[in-house]
Amino acid sequence: MKKMKAMLSITLAAAMTLGMCSVQVSAEESTGAVLNVMIETAVESLDPQQATDGTSFEVIADYTDGLMQMDADGAAVEALAESYEISDDGLTYTFHLREAYWSNGTQVTAADFVYAWQRAVDPDIASEYAYMLSDIGQIVNAEEIIAGEMDKSELGVTAVDDLTLEVQLNVPVSYFLSLMYFPTFYPVNQEFCESCGDTFGTSPDTVLSNGAFILTDYEPAATSFELVKNEDYWDADRISLGGLSYQVIQDSQQALMSYQVGDLDITLVNGDQVEQVEDDPEFESIGAGYLWYVSPNIDAVPELANLNIRMALTMAIDRESITADVLKDGSKATYTAVPMDFATGPDGSDYAEDQTRYSDVCTYDATLAAEYWQAGLEELGISELTLEMVVDADDAPQKVAAVLKEQWETTLPGLTVELVVEPKKQRVQDMQDGNFELGLTRWGPDYADPMTYLGMWVTGNSNNYGLWSNEEYDAIIAECTTGDLCTDAEGRWEALYDAEALVMQEAVIFPLYTQCNAQMVSSSVTGIEFHAVALNRVYKDTVKTVE
Amino acid sequence: MKLLKKKHPFTLHASAAGAYAAASASSSETASGGYVPVDSDFRLKDNAADIAIDTNFASQSFWKDVLTRFVHKKSAVVGLILILLITLLAIVGPGMNEYTYSGQNLSQKNLAPRIPILENLGIFDGTETMSTTSGSKVLNGYADNELDDVYYWFGSDIYGRDIWTRTWSGARVSLIIAVAAALIDMVIGMSYGLISGYFGGKTDMIMQRILEISNGIPRLVIVTLLLLILSPGMLTIIFALMLTEWIGMSRIARAEMLKLKEQEFVLASRTLGAGSFFIIFREVLPNIIGPIITQVMFSIPTAIFTEAFLSFVGLGIPVPQCSLGSLISDGFNSLTTHPYQIVPPLVVMALLMLSFNLVADGLREALDPKMKEM
Amino acid sequence: MRKYTLKRILTSFLTLLAILFVLFLLMQLMPGSPFNDEKLSSDQRELLYAKYGLDQPVIVQFFRYAVNMLRGDLGVSYNISKNTPISQLIQTRLPISIGIGGAAVTIGAVIGLLLGLLAALKHDTIWDSLATIISVIGVSVPSYVFALALSYFFGFKLRWFPMLFSTKTLYASSVLPSISLSMFTMASIARFTRSEMLEVLGSDYMLLAESKGISGSALIFRHALRNALIPIITVLAPLVVDLMTGSLVVEKIFSIPGVGSLLVNAIQSNDYNVVIALSFIYSALYIGIMLVVDILYGVIDPRIRLAKEGD
Repeated sequence: MKKMKAMLSITLAAAMTLGMCSVQVSAEESTGAVLNVMIETAVESLDPQQATDGTSFEVIADYTDGLMQMDADGAAVEALAESYEISDDGLTYTFHLREAYWSNGTQVTAADFVYAWQRAVDPDIASEYAYMLSDIGQIVNAEEIIAGEMDKSELGVTAVDDLTLEVQLNVPVSYFLSLMYFPTFYPVNQEFCESCGDTFGTSPDTVLSNGAFILTDYEPAATSFELVKNEDYWDADRISLGGLSYQVIQDSQQALMSYQVGDLDITLVNGDQVEQVEDDPEFESIGAGYLWYVSPNIDAVPELANLNIRMALTMAIDRESITADVLKDGSKATYTAVPMDFATGPDGSDYAEDQTRYSDVCTYDATLAAEYWQAGLEELGISELTLEMVVDADDAPQKVAAVLKEQWETTLPGLTVELVVEPKKQRVQDMQDGNFELGLTRWGPDYADPMTYLGMWVTGNSNNYGLWSNEEYDAIIAECTTGDLCTDAEGRWEALYDAEALVMQEAVIFPLYTQCNAQMVSSSVTGIEFHAVALNRVYKDTVKTVE
Repeated sequence: MKLLKKKHPFTLHASAAGAYAAASASSSETASGGYVPVDSDFRLKDNAADIAIDTNFASQSFWKDVLTRFVHKKSAVVGLILILLITLLAIVGPGMNEYTYSGQNLSQKNLAPRIPILENLGIFDGTETMSTTSGSKVLNGYADNELDDVYYWFGSDIYGRDIWTRTWSGARVSLIIAVAAALIDMVIGMSYGLISGYFGGKTDMIMQRILEISNGIPRLVIVTLLLLILSPGMLTIIFALMLTEWIGMSRIARAEMLKLKEQEFVLASRTLGAGSFFIIFREVLPNIIGPIITQVMFSIPTAIFTEAFLSFVGLGIPVPQCSLGSLISDGFNSLTTHPYQIVPPLVVMALLMLSFNLVADGLREALDPKMKEM
Repeated sequence: MRKYTLKRILTSFLTLLAILFVLFLLMQLMPGSPFNDEKLSSDQRELLYAKYGLDQPVIVQFFRYAVNMLRGDLGVSYNISKNTPISQLIQTRLPISIGIGGAAVTIGAVIGLLLGLLAALKHDTIWDSLATIISVIGVSVPSYVFALALSYFFGFKLRWFPMLFSTKTLYASSVLPSISLSMFTMASIARFTRSEMLEVLGSDYMLLAESKGISGSALIFRHALRNALIPIITVLAPLVVDLMTGSLVVEKIFSIPGVGSLLVNAIQSNDYNVVIALSFIYSALYIGIMLVVDILYGVIDPRIRLAKEGD
């Protein structure tokens, strides 16, 4: 009994002290101007060849430089490559490296790139982004190595000497330089990587930095971690920040409150919260690159194989209302198959700048939609139709789906839309298996070229969920990727528009909006660069003034 | 026990009176020729009232007794009234205005509660104060959009749907799910527990190991997997809840069975040739109905709560249908912007959970007279 | 007694093995793949499946996993933290979860016990109803709402405690999560204490003790509470385990690097090894605690020991 009493009093005391210690929370010390960054998801991998998600890419790029880097507008400029030459046929790239060092003191050499790129295609590593080297980068032998038909040493990349790297391509790739800032192409020091073995990239001791910052505090899937400025960075004078402090916050309301008390310098804002912050000068909306669209299963659902039905569905969508009333985060209503603000053409203009280009087939017109609908129903000989739409179990897609359902059902008499909410992994699987009728999905650009979207709808592509097939379309795309148009920038650009027009006329997808992120950036911070492709945020020119 | 004790003195009393009557009758016979007794000599003494009580108690059935005790417990009655009230509103509430649970009106979204009459008092007039990053601002969505004749009693949500209608249709869905899940797991858990307890030995061993295995796997894993495999909907949720909740029920049933199976009436029944299943379901079951009902009452709020949790993880009822859980989880996202959106479903859920708990407590005490003495 | 204990340990072990197998089967039912589906060709996916041995029959995978586990190798994560050994992933998270869960159970148990005592001693009075109402409200407000409300008032408005968990301010930043998490325990313990106390208070030996002239607090604490506590402890033990995995909501809101959110993420992203490892740890803890409670129970209460040995 005495023991029990003692135990009780101890637990009571513990609870009391826990409850009473009201520790004043002081804002993060701002000496050395550490930038406090909010991220929504934890880092999945710090191995540049295995990472696939935006957060991981951003962090890897904080402490690693590739051959090229992004300038403020997203164009590729030299980083570790001091200069480069492209052969006349566009098939050979020669990069000349500058003098730069890893954080353990060894020099960054061409061999580090060769080793890293071979890792990327190595079947033993099984990198998920290996296709960046094969399908997209078109590096010689990459495809065969991935398939296990050739040894990785056959990859078309060679270290001519310590500071010269030569890359061989199958066909000219107009956007090849812009791939060089993609983390899959970042160098890895062979000796260091092999000394770490399986633990490579799982702690500050098992990563090497050659970039602007050095990782100091990190654990796998950590909810907070830190980097400090790399004084030995080749371009160290450019870096003004003393370091970066990342905090994973999944709840947007907590994030905004933390921002308001000064624990964060930059945070994302949920659409619901925009009302709270829209008058604030620190509020801004930044393009995130993703195109959200509805994919109809043209192949498996006979009703959706009817063009009139598809036209009715796409015309019945009030995209402006979705972006303005529901999302409210600055997302832009989109009427083209390729979204805005990521691909710049030969004349320097945005590929999707003209959103009325396909206004005859993709616009909001309730009466026209109803006419198409009636025509479609008559052709099918039915009077009502029930369609299922698969939707991710996340916040934004569910909201959009709820509004889509309502818009469709009110505009198109006889239509019932049932929403099937699933976790994303399962939704993707269902769509790949063709086990869906309508699917609300998104696609983010992998590189700054419309092909990252248009490549999806060729016959047999695994992301052509609706199994749409059009010979003319396939021919144009083939011409643009491996045919004569590879080297003719303007001609290729026009051909891409022709291809996009086919997708739109046939209503292969119903584009909805180009996603933007609403965010708050502290007024004491300037110079964070935001990009839709590859690296979402770059902090090399960021300045944080400390009062 | 107390019930028997209470009856006891009266039974004695009654038989004593009978014996007395018989004795006096025989004595009157022997005294023949003498004083002839008249009826008035044998009028009862002042115990007419006692006799009346006696009759009353004799006709008092177990269930009537339970009812009396239950009614005497105020908190339980309050709980019952609340449940009935919420059930009634869940049935008629959604039809009380012109809105439907799924009808969106994006031009009337995020309107604060506005109630006729009360609005003249300066409350519920559609005004809300929103704290923004640059101070707080007072909004009135009705005035701003010139919606003079529009009333959302509980406000409207981010799609401009009426929260009043959605709260009550959500309560309807939650109640259906909870009651169905609780009843089904009662049937399953009870049968499992009774069978396991009755047969004992190897059967019990195997059945308890199976139970241990299914209890050892985190519920979250089972429920999420199930909801991933089956298509989402009310039935799936009921099934998922049932699958994890029957264990508690079976434990109770088994424990009760272990207590009762050695008793004489079971032995008697078996001697008379009753089969195992007859004994389990016809002899033992009626005797343990009390704890079982109590457990069902307790498992209803648990089911409501688990459903709310599933909604939060994104595996709840498919949109645009709603449950209290999904409404709370929707309202949660607007907690710091439009706090009034979470209040109605939260209050209804809290009241429901409270009342079911009160009723369960009341029932347990009413069914188990032992506790009445306290 | 020893025979009984040995038997219990052996069956527990077999149960665990069975659980592991069931988990494996469940993983097979899971739709979707652990890898980046959208952008992966089918050849690439096959390559990845082969790399991790996921193309093997379940039974082969199971035995390989079981053997590896005996060597202390729980496999690697597929996508939450690519290729990170799960033991490494868990080793920093488990202590945090146990710490916060433990604090929550402590707070919840103490307050729940007090509430339950109050309700039982003042049975059928306004205090009883009040205690019931407090404890029911405690569970009927979902912990995420409670967590955010706490965070808003004590973190944002009053700034007494940090809004987000941080290992740098471990104690201060554990307060709000622990309190939000303690609600469920508090309510369960309060309800259980109340009914156990009512039963004990009504028993004959209490009447005896009372008639012997033992009075007031000595009666309640030495005789009543002591006897009521034994069953309460058996309820408390599994609650501790539940809190560890059930804390995911609170973990999400306070950005706690714990195992609960890890489990949910793993389920949603098909990270099979993480799901299996975490579920298995949960099961092992659960069954371990039940085993200990069972054996201790036998030690404490001879009636149970005799009954079980009779089986």
